[in-house]
Amino acid sequence: MFSLFYGLWKYMFSKTEFHVLILGIDKAGKTTLLEKLKSQYSNLEGLPPDRIVPTVGLNIGRVEVSNSKLVFWDLGGQLGLRSIWEKYYEEAHAVVFVVDAACPSRFEDSKSALEKVLRHEDLQGAPLLILANKQDLPQSVTAEEIARYLDLKKLDERVYTFQAVSALDGTGIKESVDWLVDVMERSKRTEMLRTRAGLPNS
Amino acid sequence: MGIVFTRLFSSLFGNKEARILVLGLDNAGKTTILYRLQMGEVVSTIPTIGFNVETVQYKNIKFQVWDLGGQTSIRPYWRCYFPNTQAIIYVVDSSDTDRLVVAKEEFHAILEEDELKGAVVLIFANKQDLPGALDDAAVTEALELHKIKNRQWAIFKTSAIKGEGLFEGLDWLSNTLKSGGG
Repeated sequence: MFSLFYGLWKYMFSKTEFHVLILGIDKAGKTTLLEKLKSQYSNLEGLPPDRIVPTVGLNIGRVEVSNSKLVFWDLGGQLGLRSIWEKYYEEAHAVVFVVDAACPSRFEDSKSALEKVLRHEDLQGAPLLILANKQDLPQSVTAEEIARYLDLKKLDERVYTFQAVSALDGTGIKESVDWLVDVMERSKRTEMLRTRAGLPNS
Repeated sequence: MGIVFTRLFSSLFGNKEARILVLGLDNAGKTTILYRLQMGEVVSTIPTIGFNVETVQYKNIKFQVWDLGGQTSIRPYWRCYFPNTQAIIYVVDSSDTDRLVVAKEEFHAILEEDELKGAVVLIFANKQDLPGALDDAAVTEALELHKIKNRQWAIFKTSAIKGEGLFEGLDWLSNTLKSGGG
C-alpha cells in the first residue's frame, strides 16, 4: 500500500531529470564549464580552473535549476576518446557543444566533430546549444562568427542556438542554462525519452 | 612520489575514516602499484574466511587490495570491505587481451554493489611497458566503460614497474573527491 502512495507521490511531484551532454574537442573548456555550472547552481565549490586536467573519461555535474534536475555529462574530447561520445547519445536530452572561440586554427576540427555528432541518429531531435567559449580572451570571436564558420546544415527540425560565454568568469552561463531548460521542457525528444522510460508525459 | 602523494591526500579526507579499494584480476599489478606509492608497509593478511587482502593504512585512508575472479563461494565476504569506500581503483593488465572479457565482467559486477554506488572509479590501464599492450581508448572499449553513467570515471595508462601514470591518476582522484565526486 505504501508503495502505491509512494508511486503516486513520485508520479506527481518528482522533478524531471534531464541529461545534458557536454561535447567539444580537447581544450575547448568543457570541464571548466562543468565546474562553473556546479559552483553557480549547487552548493559544491567546483574545482578552480588551474586544478583542471584534461578529461580522460566522464565527469558528472548534478544541479537543480528552478523545477528541473540537470545531470551534465562531460566527456573527454581528445581524438582517441571521442569514440565513447556516441555511447551516451541515446539517453541525452540535449547537447552542449563547446568551441574555443579564441583558437581559429582549430575551428575546422570543431566543425567536423560537430557534424559527426549531428549525423548520429541516436541524437535525433536533441536540442543543441553551441557555446563560443573563452570570451574573456581579447582575441576571441563572437557567437555570430562561430555560427558563420561552422555553417551548419542538416539541422532539420532541431532546436539550436549559439551563445557567447566565458566558462572562466561566468559570462553567458545563466542565459545558456535558462535556454536549455526551457527547450528541454518542451522538446519532442524529451517526450520521446519519457515514453521510452515509461514515464507520464505532462 | 611519496611526498607528492602525502600532499595530495593529507587534506582530503580530514579525520574521517576512508577507504579506497584497489581491485583487478590476479597479476594485474595492484601490489606493485601500492609499493610504488611508498605510503607505508603493505600488510598481507589471509584471514580465516580465506581470501587474501592487502592493506596499506595511510593516515586515515585504508587502501585495500584483493584479486577479483576465482572462487564464487568467498565473494559474499568481500562486502565486509565495502562500507565507507570513496573510490575504486581498477587495475587491468593491458597486455593480457585474453582475459579482458573476464576483467570487464568482474568490474561491472563489483560496480553493481549497493554499498559501492557512491564510489568514483579510476582505471589504470597497466603494463604499458609490455609489447602489445592496448592503449587507453582500446581498454575503455574492452571494459565497456561507457556503461557507467551515474558516477565519474577516468582511465590512465600506467606502468607500475616504471612508476609512470600513477601520479596523474591519483591527482585526478584527489581532485574529483575534493570537488564533490560521485
